[in-house]
Amino acid sequence: MAKFALVDCNNFYASCERVFEPKLEHKAIVVLSNNDGCIIARSNEAKAFGIKMGEPYFKVKELLNDKSIVVKSSNYPLYGDMSSRVMKIISQYSPVQEVYSIDESFIDLSGFSMNLNSYMQTLKQQVKTWTGIPVCVGLGSTKLRAKLANHIAKIYPRFDGVFDIDKLSEHRFEKLLHSLEVKELWGIGKKSADRLNRVNINTALDFYQADIGIIETLLGVNGKRLYRELYGHSCLQIEQISPPRRQIVSSRSFGSELSDYQDVNQALSTLARQAVIKMKRQSLATTSVSVFIQTNPFSRYSSCISLSKTIGMSVPVSDESILIPLVSKTLEQMYESGYQFYKGGVMLSNLTPDKSQQDLFTQESKTSKFYSQHPYGNLIQYASELGNNKWRSKADFISDRYTTNWNELLSI
Amino acid sequence: MKLKTQQHGGARTGAGRKVNSGKFKEDTKVMRIPSSLVDRVKSTLELYKSQLKADVQVQIPAYDASSVLLPIFTSRVQAGFPSPADDHLEDTLDLNKQLIQHQEATFFVRAQGDSMLGAGIHQGDILIVDKALVAKSGRIVIAVIDGEFTVKRLHKYKGVITLKAENPEFKDILIKEGSELIIWGVVTSVIHQYL
Repeated sequence: MAKFALVDCNNFYASCERVFEPKLEHKAIVVLSNNDGCIIARSNEAKAFGIKMGEPYFKVKELLNDKSIVVKSSNYPLYGDMSSRVMKIISQYSPVQEVYSIDESFIDLSGFSMNLNSYMQTLKQQVKTWTGIPVCVGLGSTKLRAKLANHIAKIYPRFDGVFDIDKLSEHRFEKLLHSLEVKELWGIGKKSADRLNRVNINTALDFYQADIGIIETLLGVNGKRLYRELYGHSCLQIEQISPPRRQIVSSRSFGSELSDYQDVNQALSTLARQAVIKMKRQSLATTSVSVFIQTNPFSRYSSCISLSKTIGMSVPVSDESILIPLVSKTLEQMYESGYQFYKGGVMLSNLTPDKSQQDLFTQESKTSKFYSQHPYGNLIQYASELGNNKWRSKADFISDRYTTNWNELLSI
Repeated sequence: MKLKTQQHGGARTGAGRKVNSGKFKEDTKVMRIPSSLVDRVKSTLELYKSQLKADVQVQIPAYDASSVLLPIFTSRVQAGFPSPADDHLEDTLDLNKQLIQHQEATFFVRAQGDSMLGAGIHQGDILIVDKALVAKSGRIVIAVIDGEFTVKRLHKYKGVITLKAENPEFKDILIKEGSELIIWGVVTSVIHQYL
């Protein structure tokens, strides 16, 4: 029989902050999104205060203050590094691993003969001592069931962070499903849930007891797969290699509204570089570049506008010395003055593997050769990337990049 | 006899394919291509077609035909006597391998203060801390007491735990029963940079 484990970090962002600031242990913490916009992560203590996910920061500012809840800006360099440490440790426990998100990972334990419960306890302990991050493990005969098991392991402390759902009696299993809304099931999105609710499938138990034909009619083959997974027939395989990206987007809400062309240009040039770096990391090249900027749609005082333009290229390009000036040029063509732009971005699509094949109609530019061959080539910036940095987002409560920057190491 | 104007057959005006209505939306030309380059030309044309279809403005890089060189043979054949050291090549020395035992559990920490001067830890030194190691008595550890970090040498004797400073000016910290002590990690090396 197939057997999967889902290892999920508990309140991952808050836990990362606690590793380097132990005095935050047992304190309520919230983490804000890019630009300190809204709440994207909460510690259990903050959840207990009734702070909601996605709530705009300015709305709950006073409540956070009153309850002396610790506020942190998101520190992705730190979370990313801690995540890769945790994932590497998990990978030692099975040859087949899928890194599902920054804080979740599936592993395949099919055919493992040892006591899986204690095997996973060892994993949990190792991740905790090696990195300081607490995790919970859910075991099940399918990925969906492992996900459910993880949910239980999180809620009930008596399982000590590891729970095997296949050991549950049918009666208890149904009771569990009854306590869950159908939209809480993994893979059921809002639209699917709406469709199910219309035919009175409201709880996960309703879904479980529904006719497979109805599920297939309503949700198609994907719904049918989830249904079968719930019954213990493994339909969803571990995806060891993440599917290649279809597009790369680098976009940001600006720190303040920008009305000056130079400021917008700086923002987009820098975003273009970030997009190119992301693309190169995956050895991809693009043939289509889109640039977009927009004004704040919620602003009451100024008119709204959203501008975008897409440029195609005759050959796949991965070279920043072509792409960054191209973004600037495109912006120049589409820019309209007299507006307050609050958000913008660059999208690279139509991605193909970057084979750096010699193309018939182009030749490698001298600048790009310089970039790739000169020892300080990567330090060179375009003039358009420099400026007053007005666009940069707010991160007023950010902790140090303890693990990725020599100047910001933990001081003891 | 009067010649009748022909009413049937022949070319009709407006018939046939419209000008520039083809896949490329412009005049095309027939041309011979070396077989070895057919795939490349084809793929370039396919891409161009798809972009025209998507109504995307296409940038054709301007180029000076005379300066385009296609280096088809790039690999060179090395001549000369092979290096006698080739058979004795070894890995270069890697400090990471020497100093880091558990990569995922290793963190770098900057030392503050002089309390561990006797152990060779100076202000500003970089400590290599391994969280995977067991905090045995006698090891230098990063400890957390009441939520605050400290570097000290750990002493366990007959159930009494002491954190010892290595500087006579600092007092040892006796861990009383009931107070919480967390060992965050074990210090394995100290890096003292002179320059």
